[in-house]
Amino acid sequence: MPYSRRRFLHLATGTGAAAFLAACAGPGGSSDPTSASGGPISFAHWRAEDKEVFEQIIKDSGLAVRQDISPSNDYQSTALQKIRGGTVGDAFTAFRGAQFLEIAKAGISTDLTSKALVQKYEPNLITAGAQDGKQLGLPYQLVFNTPLANRDLVTETPKDWDGFLALLETLKGKGLTPIAWPGGDAANAGQLLNVMVVNNAPADDTLGRIETGEAKVTDDWFLTVLKQYQQLAPYFQKGATGTGSDAALALFAQGKAGLLATGSFQVSGVRKLGATFPIDLLAPITTTADKARYEGVFNATFILGVNAKSSKQDAAQAWLDRLSDPAVAGVYANGTAQHVTVKGVEYTNPDLKALAPWLTKKTALAPRFQFSNLDVRGAVENAAVAVVGGKSPEEAAEAAQKVVDQKK
Amino acid sequence: MRSSRSLYLFAVPALILYGGFFLLPAAQGLRYATTDWDGYSPTFRNVGAANLTDVVTNDDLFRHALTNNLKFLLVVVLGQTALALLLAVLLAARSRGSTWLRALFFLPTILSSVSVAFIWKFVYDPNFGLANALLRAVGLGRFESSYLGNESTAILWVAVAQIWFHAGQMMVVYIAGINQIPDELYDAAKTDGAGRWQQFRHVTWPMVAPATTLVVAYTTLQSFKAFDLILGLAGNPPRSGLDVLATRIYSTFANSQLGYAAAESIVFMAAIALVTFLQNRAARTVHG
Repeated sequence: MPYSRRRFLHLATGTGAAAFLAACAGPGGSSDPTSASGGPISFAHWRAEDKEVFEQIIKDSGLAVRQDISPSNDYQSTALQKIRGGTVGDAFTAFRGAQFLEIAKAGISTDLTSKALVQKYEPNLITAGAQDGKQLGLPYQLVFNTPLANRDLVTETPKDWDGFLALLETLKGKGLTPIAWPGGDAANAGQLLNVMVVNNAPADDTLGRIETGEAKVTDDWFLTVLKQYQQLAPYFQKGATGTGSDAALALFAQGKAGLLATGSFQVSGVRKLGATFPIDLLAPITTTADKARYEGVFNATFILGVNAKSSKQDAAQAWLDRLSDPAVAGVYANGTAQHVTVKGVEYTNPDLKALAPWLTKKTALAPRFQFSNLDVRGAVENAAVAVVGGKSPEEAAEAAQKVVDQKK
Repeated sequence: MRSSRSLYLFAVPALILYGGFFLLPAAQGLRYATTDWDGYSPTFRNVGAANLTDVVTNDDLFRHALTNNLKFLLVVVLGQTALALLLAVLLAARSRGSTWLRALFFLPTILSSVSVAFIWKFVYDPNFGLANALLRAVGLGRFESSYLGNESTAILWVAVAQIWFHAGQMMVVYIAGINQIPDELYDAAKTDGAGRWQQFRHVTWPMVAPATTLVVAYTTLQSFKAFDLILGLAGNPPRSGLDVLATRIYSTFANSQLGYAAAESIVFMAAIALVTFLQNRAARTVHG
């Protein structure tokens, strides 16, 4: 049959129309049931550093799982919109606090309360995944948002604020950077606030009450926190407010800094940079010894969930079942140097063994995740950064409170 | 007559695309700006002009972002235009060396914003960075800075990175403009005894006026829409010293306040329209 230009145009128009209609089908449109139920499920998370360990677990399990990984800050910003479409994140993870609450509110999390896998977790460590009496997610990682200490350089553990400052002075006297702090990295700069707040705050939930207006950034207890940041400023590395996470990590890993003010989730990063010194956790006790309620801070995060909008919920739950198996959770924990909330896991990683005593210490749930409004959280955390940058605590607190009043 | 009417049908596909991908979303944006919609709930409340009023009168974060954006715009428009013109004047002559140098200065333009952000993050790092190392090497260690960590000047350092990123692109526009200038004009200027500066001032500068208008207009839009470079350098969300309008809107959207983000977008568009209008007026005044 001869092909005229007109026939070619008809063909092109028909193909274009078909493509257009197919594109319009998208999420929410009718779809081919075989493609909906076939193929790998999408596992959405932000831990690029855990990719290889997850790949190993996927391979061993024989399940068809594809990892959809975004950088943590992007994940915080965009995961909800991506997951609610149902094409990404059949199984997904959420940060504790604002993101988990938003996802729960959007009705994306499947209720796992009656599922057998819930029994495999330590009950007191998965409360962050519950909402309105339902277990909507399972916090998987147990991390300590408590500064890391190089035990070759930091041999003592001060029990009060004055002792902590004396330790920093000693380190500085030796020509070391006492604390490496990534003040230029919004996500990690705020980790230090956790330990600075827990013993200063009148109650465990006071930081979160700033958002509701029941507490203020200008309250005496928070001004104390800011004044202590002012005292810490000379002990941070040069240009602390402009230092990124990688640079702070490098300072610590190279043995140039005594403490790294982030948390246990960076232990594997420190090791990857070649550090061989013993690592411990050391929180500044911001009060006198007798008034200190906590020795450090922990967080139960990386909250696993099954997407209620997914057409592959059974497969997604099978993946969560797999991750909840103590042996598999052990592979994840030892492979990533992070504790998990699953019961009966055997830790063989030397760093996890070394930090195991912290599992039974008096630690508080990380307060910075009490905020549900990210602008409010940013304003409060930035007040501390501003103080280190030279602003007076009173001025920084007033500026932050103004933003809180506008945004709450 | 009938056949000429049928010609209008040819515009229909374009109109459908324009309506579907521009007019409809713009109208939806206006609608959302009057609501408290979070971006996913099935219901929302109408709040009238409250969002717009708040954005304009009661939002320090937005005000900081606007101020930063204007500072960024000013530095980038002046710096990038001046540098691009300087490079174009120096490299307009056709020689092997200038071709290589043009390619060299154009090179950053083809990099992705994320790569550029990584490069400049390394340059600005206070402890391991190139900038402080250079200062120390030449005995100017007292001028070491925390760069992006300095709340009042951070945005200016980002502007420097932006200028490095795009000056080469604008240089090409200027070179095209300079190459259009007839040699006779320079010959006449030389005959009148004009030196190089006078030739530039009385021949090159007036003759590249159309290119300057284009460069300034493009750079202005580019500066307002700077987003990925800022996020790459400052992290997400950026601190108020590095926040600009585009990143502020993104943060509000990420904070599940779609209605408020839509209101911010409207003010953002108005700001771009106002600056562009003022620039056009200024260009008309300068170039006649």
